[in-house]
Amino acid sequence: MNVIEIDRLTKQYGKARGITDVSFSVKEGEIFGFIGPNGAGKSTTIRTLLSLIYPTSGNAKIFGKDCVKFAPEIKKEIGYLPSEVFYYDNMKVGELLAYSASFYRKDCTRRIKELAEMLDLDLGRKVGDLSLGNKKKVGIVQGMLHEPKLLILDEPTSGLDPLMQQTFFELLREENKKGVTILFSSHILTEVQKLCGRVAIIKEGKIVTVESISTLQENNYKKFRVETSSLPDIAAFQISGIKDLEVNGRNVRFLFKGDLNKIINIFSGLDIVNLWVEEPDLEEIFLHYYEK
Amino acid sequence: MNIYRHELKAYRKSTIIWTFSLIGLTALFLSMFPSISKDAEQFGKLLEGYPEAVRKAIGLELDTFFSFLGFYSYTFLYITLAGAIQAMNLGLSVFSKEMREKTADFLLTKPVTREKVFLSKLLAALTSLLVTNVAFFAASFLISSRITTEDYSGKAFLLISLTLLFIQLIFLALGLFISVFARQLKNITAVSFGTVFGFFLLGMLSSTSGSDGAMRLLSPFKYFDTAYIIRHGEYEWRYILAASIIVLVSAAMGLIIFKKKDIHSV
Repeated sequence: MNVIEIDRLTKQYGKARGITDVSFSVKEGEIFGFIGPNGAGKSTTIRTLLSLIYPTSGNAKIFGKDCVKFAPEIKKEIGYLPSEVFYYDNMKVGELLAYSASFYRKDCTRRIKELAEMLDLDLGRKVGDLSLGNKKKVGIVQGMLHEPKLLILDEPTSGLDPLMQQTFFELLREENKKGVTILFSSHILTEVQKLCGRVAIIKEGKIVTVESISTLQENNYKKFRVETSSLPDIAAFQISGIKDLEVNGRNVRFLFKGDLNKIINIFSGLDIVNLWVEEPDLEEIFLHYYEK
Repeated sequence: MNIYRHELKAYRKSTIIWTFSLIGLTALFLSMFPSISKDAEQFGKLLEGYPEAVRKAIGLELDTFFSFLGFYSYTFLYITLAGAIQAMNLGLSVFSKEMREKTADFLLTKPVTREKVFLSKLLAALTSLLVTNVAFFAASFLISSRITTEDYSGKAFLLISLTLLFIQLIFLALGLFISVFARQLKNITAVSFGTVFGFFLLGMLSSTSGSDGAMRLLSPFKYFDTAYIIRHGEYEWRYILAASIIVLVSAAMGLIIFKKKDIHSV
């Protein structure tokens, strides 16, 4: 079952920004990454899902219901963490969370306590006095206190220190095990790689690809680096599939996509001192999509 | 109800401050009445020296100035001026506050309809104004009973005092409308002072021209002619109607725009 279904969603404002024909679906129980550089349209898409802004054309469904028409109803089961958190500065953290909880018809006190403890958040402090990281924590608790079925996280890790990021990721994995679906937007690829099963890559308001992380890596180039005992014959490397060939004395680097036996054939004619074969990380794949 | 309660709490401080300022202002004005009425003749001569246009502009009516109600309604003009600023500030901040402090994301991703958000906020603002008016009326009634032995019409006193609420409602609705319409209001006080004083000046101009037509309709401050109220013991219904239309139309337009509005991030 699809928790989120986005169908040719378009939002135009002004001339510059916006999204065009964005379509993808997020299945129940998956952690779905949504990546793209700043200004690519991640937040626009997310804000449309939450009906903070309304689409120019196309539509999106959450839990099978139109996200504009049934907005209040579906929001009962959504937890949202905005990329930049701002709350009523005059309130204490505890008061703010209680206010947030008052919108859901359930008792959230226990969950608030639990989460605050896990994230090491002081409920007695004023929101206005908190550091960015602590505000972010308030945001996390605020988004999760009503135990939603869908978490929408817009660049959630900014401002969190690495340790807290780890705690947060653990928390997300735990929730995910309970069946919670997560839409995780980010421009930091390593965290998406760590957490997500599938990703949608967005560029200049358009979806470039939707792929599972493992396929993305498989279908891609492998990185080779080889060191030979004598100067290698460069001509041997001139076969199709090899890219970005770089020869530096006895060191050869290149990217390869295709039948690996061809490479082994080339190598068999060389006297190899050292050899590295690496999977490209997501960053390189990502850049590859962006270069087009 | 939770939004209503939260909003009410947010306005608590400013409501208290405004209420006490209005009471203080009227206490100051009214405390001058005993001495002014004692030397009415001399004061009368002095004021007669002002050109008629000036007297009209500042709402000074020599025939009634030295009666308690006449004096009260003269000073009341300034109370309504202050009250209008209070209401306009409130109306403007109701929505612009969420945008400026960027808390709209928080509120509008909760499972509530935008209508409910709008109406709760409106209701909280109305409550705040109502509290101000009740406290103000009680206080000015109390002060009046202390400073004058004159027999005046209680009904007219009430009718005059109630115009504060009406004028506040008009400016609240206007403020609300502007705050929904504008993408981001950086300086509420400037907008509110500008608008209120603008209308106030228009009112002065319309008094000097002495017309009863379009000019008067343009200034809410002139909708409630205190001299008329004292004489007839009722309002001019035409202007009550005009006030109601302004309030209802601005509030309804505000709601419609708020429902359709895109809430942009930072």
